[in-house]
Amino acid sequence: MTMLLIFLRKNTLAMVGGLTLLAVLLAILFAPMMITYSPTRINVLHKLAAPSWEHWLGTDAFGRDVLTRVLYGGRYTLAIGIGVVAIAFTVGVFFGTLAGFAGGVVDMLIMRVVDAMLSFPALVLAIALAAAFGPSLNNAMLAVAITLAPQFARVARSQALAVSVKPYVEAAVSLGLPTRRILWRYIFANGLGPLLVQASLSLGSAILQTASLGFLGLGAQPPLAEWGADVSANLQYMRGSPWVALSPGMAILLTVLCFNLIGDSLADWFNPRRRSELD
Amino acid sequence: MVSFLLRRLVALLPVLALVLVIVFSLVRIIPGDPAVTLLGPGATNEQIAALRLQLGLDRPAAFQFFDYVGGLLQGNLGTSLKTGNGVLQEILIRLPATLELSICATLLAILIGIPIGVLSATWPNSGLDHVTRVVSLLGVSMPAFLLALILQLIFATYLGWLPVSGRISPYVATPTVTGFATLDGVINGDFGAMWSAVQHLVLPTVVLAAFLATTLGRFVRNTMLDVMTEDYIRTARAKGLSRSSVILHHGLRNSLLPAITITGLKFAEMLGGAILTETIFAWPGVGRFMFEAIKNRDYPVIQGTTLIFALLFMATSLLVDLLYGVLDPRVRRKMQ
Repeated sequence: MTMLLIFLRKNTLAMVGGLTLLAVLLAILFAPMMITYSPTRINVLHKLAAPSWEHWLGTDAFGRDVLTRVLYGGRYTLAIGIGVVAIAFTVGVFFGTLAGFAGGVVDMLIMRVVDAMLSFPALVLAIALAAAFGPSLNNAMLAVAITLAPQFARVARSQALAVSVKPYVEAAVSLGLPTRRILWRYIFANGLGPLLVQASLSLGSAILQTASLGFLGLGAQPPLAEWGADVSANLQYMRGSPWVALSPGMAILLTVLCFNLIGDSLADWFNPRRRSELD
Repeated sequence: MVSFLLRRLVALLPVLALVLVIVFSLVRIIPGDPAVTLLGPGATNEQIAALRLQLGLDRPAAFQFFDYVGGLLQGNLGTSLKTGNGVLQEILIRLPATLELSICATLLAILIGIPIGVLSATWPNSGLDHVTRVVSLLGVSMPAFLLALILQLIFATYLGWLPVSGRISPYVATPTVTGFATLDGVINGDFGAMWSAVQHLVLPTVVLAAFLATTLGRFVRNTMLDVMTEDYIRTARAKGLSRSSVILHHGLRNSLLPAITITGLKFAEMLGGAILTETIFAWPGVGRFMFEAIKNRDYPVIQGTTLIFALLFMATSLLVDLLYGVLDPRVRRKMQ
């Protein structure tokens, strides 16, 4: 906790990102208490209404309150970001740590698969996988997680390689501790820092990529309020009622920016050269 | 250099084999019977059986894979279910449009990103550095489709300075020579066509360049700050060289090599980003072709375009490695 406070005090941008994200989180969590509109209830009499005191961000083509949809959509978007990174982290770190610790053929096999997956532009692979799995939010999340996992595997492997030559790991091996325990208690626990930086940087990418899949019709399906899908669904009203498509788009930008501000500052914090600039 | 190239090509082979396995698997991971999914609910049993035969789904997976690779070696990426034409031919028709857009975006990103990075590194932690940091993070956080919509709204809809979408005005007809619309206009001496192509190119180029320019700016800034702590920079300063000479000849030159790597990798990534940009701007390139294939569930096209993007990505990485050797005598010596 003290470390977190020191980190935030020395990183103004991380503090701004963190506080904004906190505000966004609170707004999303307490949306049902603050707003009386439903995100899915249709009211054609009020369709495409301009922003007003009644509807702060106007209404969409079905007369649904845009602010309500943005706040409810945020729940999905944040859950998507965290869910995708959690899957990618678990899979990538497992295989990366195993490759770095085991070495030899296991390392070679795992890393060639990682290399092959990294040979695709991330968005292309995510789109191709999501198209094959079929359009749905869960499939889009799985597709994005698969494309992010190799990055975690790379970082985890390099951490495992660096940590596994430390005397305490050699001591654990010579004491005859089970491999599973060595991997978990010594290798993974001591290489966690850079993995957390990677996770914080990946949160933004996960949200952006899933929103992009939603925009292309491969993610959340109507009438679910998801930011990327909402931008895409309202493109045709851009000329006359731009707030309908721009509001969820700006929400994506704000959230991803907050995550990137925190991730970028964390990356600087864990980089000894950069850190000396901050101290 | 040739032996280095050969070694790199050999090292690429297992990765290429795995890339082919992944692309091949794309149709096979479709839930249920791929033939039924591809043809939709109205298909007859005969049509399903015919498609299964056409895709080779009635044979063991290993045989299907070797058939697929054999076809690839003969330039056969399959047949589009929508148009009935060869996927490779369809891609080759659209590739120049994607390359034209990507190359212009890369050049624009280099022109903006490198000076921003140098200025930030020259005055670290200054107001300018903080502004460029926020702008960089803004660029990285901006969904491409949002930036595209905002630019379309301002410059096309409200101001009317630039066209909303498309590659060239429908009232302009100029013979295709290279497939690059701007270049074709110049070659044919049709400057009206060239001007129209340039106007259509501006907005998608800016959208595609934004991500790379901001990433590159930040990367050059960080690399240069690291380089500026090296011993040879201290030596250059001790020799009494001017500040600009130290920055440009010693700092920037040594920071540019990693910047080339990131530009190369991001160029290939940008080809992926082209799917969104081309879709929004109705740009007739490979990205939009892939998007249309997704809408039409044209899986051979999805497979083909995915493979082409991966091959371009791998080729760019290889080129970047070779370029490293050309530009840096230390790396060249190691290669030899």
